[in-house]
Amino acid sequence: MRASVKRPPTPDADEEHDQEPTLQEIINIKLIESGEKERLKELLRERLIECGWRDEMKALCRAFTKKKGRNNVTVDDLVHVITPKGRASVPDSVKAELLQRIRSFLASAAAH
Amino acid sequence: MSKTDHFHHHHPQQQQQQRNGLVLPQPCPHLPEFRSRHGTKPLRALQECLRVRPLGRAAIRRDPNEVPRCGLCGEAARPRLYACVACAAVSCHVHAAAHAESMPPGHEIAVDVDRAELFCCPCRDQVYDRDFDAAVVLAQIVASTLGGSIRSPPPENLRKRRRVDYQPWTPDLRERVLVGGNSSPLQLTDGDSSSDLPWGLRGLNNLGNTCFMNSVLQALLHTPPLRNYFLSDRHNRYFCQKSVASNDSNSNKNSRLCLACDMDAMFSAVFTVGRTPYSPAKFLYSWWQHAANLASYEQQDAHEFFISMLDGIHEKVEKDKRKPQSQGNGDCCIAHRVFSGILRSDVMCTACGFTSTTYDPCVDISLDLEPNQGASGRTASSKSHHSCNGEADSLSSSQNCGISTLMGCLDRFTRPERLGSDQKFFCQQCQVRQESLKQMSIRKLPLVSCFHIKRFEHSPIRKMSRKVDRYLQFPFSLDMAPYLSSSILRSRFGNRSFSFDGDEPDASNKLSSEFELFAVITHTGKLDAGHYVTYLRLSNQWYKCDDAWITQVNENIVRAAQGYMMFYVQKMLYYRASKKPVAS
Repeated sequence: MRASVKRPPTPDADEEHDQEPTLQEIINIKLIESGEKERLKELLRERLIECGWRDEMKALCRAFTKKKGRNNVTVDDLVHVITPKGRASVPDSVKAELLQRIRSFLASAAAH
Repeated sequence: MSKTDHFHHHHPQQQQQQRNGLVLPQPCPHLPEFRSRHGTKPLRALQECLRVRPLGRAAIRRDPNEVPRCGLCGEAARPRLYACVACAAVSCHVHAAAHAESMPPGHEIAVDVDRAELFCCPCRDQVYDRDFDAAVVLAQIVASTLGGSIRSPPPENLRKRRRVDYQPWTPDLRERVLVGGNSSPLQLTDGDSSSDLPWGLRGLNNLGNTCFMNSVLQALLHTPPLRNYFLSDRHNRYFCQKSVASNDSNSNKNSRLCLACDMDAMFSAVFTVGRTPYSPAKFLYSWWQHAANLASYEQQDAHEFFISMLDGIHEKVEKDKRKPQSQGNGDCCIAHRVFSGILRSDVMCTACGFTSTTYDPCVDISLDLEPNQGASGRTASSKSHHSCNGEADSLSSSQNCGISTLMGCLDRFTRPERLGSDQKFFCQQCQVRQESLKQMSIRKLPLVSCFHIKRFEHSPIRKMSRKVDRYLQFPFSLDMAPYLSSSILRSRFGNRSFSFDGDEPDASNKLSSEFELFAVITHTGKLDAGHYVTYLRLSNQWYKCDDAWITQVNENIVRAAQGYMMFYVQKMLYYRASKKPVAS
């Protein structure tokens, strides 16, 4: 078995040092390292199930699969089909709640 | 395609694989090619990178704190990142195919780092590998049960009885003579015009606010397994009384009390030809003996009566020491054999993912109606109206239109529920009280499923009771598969290609989760001044049973009725292999 499975490929790492990490990247890394990203994802999952969003997306996928035929549909196809409608139909209350959580996380992260 | 083809000709590319009732899509050639080129080593190496997060989500990370980012564009915040199984290079979904193309052959298979699902880069689609999925699920189970040292006790006796195929049988000449000589034929007609009504359809006289009892009795008289049991003389009231009375020298009336005997008497009377309504006075009296606190001429709750009656039949069964008293597998009495199922309850710690599992028998499922019209939390929008008109999928459109459905109630019954911060559960792994998620599912389906809709709310604090009149839509055919523990576990552990609950791996699973509606008990009126009516479905005709009056009705009347208790029977009954050999 090739040892490279356990080592990050070195050439890619070099390219990264040429650029400064953006603010977005820093926030993302902080979210991941503190475990907050995982908690936010779970919260989002709960809310989207409760309000029926997930069932709607499931129905869209089923309808699309029925039309194209089960063997002619890929994961990428489904993602492309439901992404616009999915993003548009997230309830405002869910967006507000998540934003509030992220804001308070940033506030506490900035303090340290 | 005959049955033998599945077993003897294994061409994965040419036929759809069926495993455990799941139809897997035709696999692309890249995964088998990958396996033959690399063997199983890379996939096993992947297993060492499996990290199971709380609530069972499996991820792939080389170091626990690794932040994966795409090798080509440097992005770490993409929704899907894939690690090549051959060389561990990470790409986002946009660049995954490019990686496979730019490398020598052998880099086609990657794994979604956040979902631990295999992906074929040239096909841009998910692929399934049984061994990999088995390893992921094993890791998830280990993470949720303290390394497997604490295994939830499986419900008793469920694993031991295998299913036996139905063998068709018709009596031979000798048996025909035997049957003919020992029975007297029932008259088909009794002269009056109502002889076109089916067998066993008789009104029940109201003995003073007893419609709660009449409605339940009508449903039970036409519950197929129960009806068959009593009509085939499996509980003979003459023999039963004798055996009970002989043990009691006093021989007073109480010693002969047996609700099953009274049921037997009722079945005999009701299934005899004749259209005059039957008065279940003896049964009422016997039931009063059993449930003394409910003995009055006041209106009672039909559901409470149903539970009490099943309990009465169970209690008065002959106390046979060889028979198990447990209700879970229904071996104790006919009431539980017909109605008893097993519910599974999982409580998951949100901090560490440790899951505590318990099994409880149940004779019915009580469901809450939604607190408000339609899916909660959604803001009303013009989108709802469009969906009502256009959407073919009834589940989605009914949610948008705000109609409560039975399946919606079952969805919510099996949804993970976050227990409040005042109900923190003691986690054995964390050794402290933690916030937890509770999820119900059905471990074993009963022969007959009774759904009770909680329309009567009693608030002891405010000393107020009220009735919820909201309409509930219920189907005539119901597939319970999505609410089974195996389905709930599968969805909790992700998109895996096999069932891991262990037992009953045969394809007949699909059939055994399909149910047909045969009785509906409805309640009209107010909480304290209301009336129960039962609708029965016999030979696909619906009949309204309103105490002593039976009338044939159109199915739309039933659909529009306010369902309080709905009875569904398994479409396909099966036989369990007998423990004792039968002398032929």
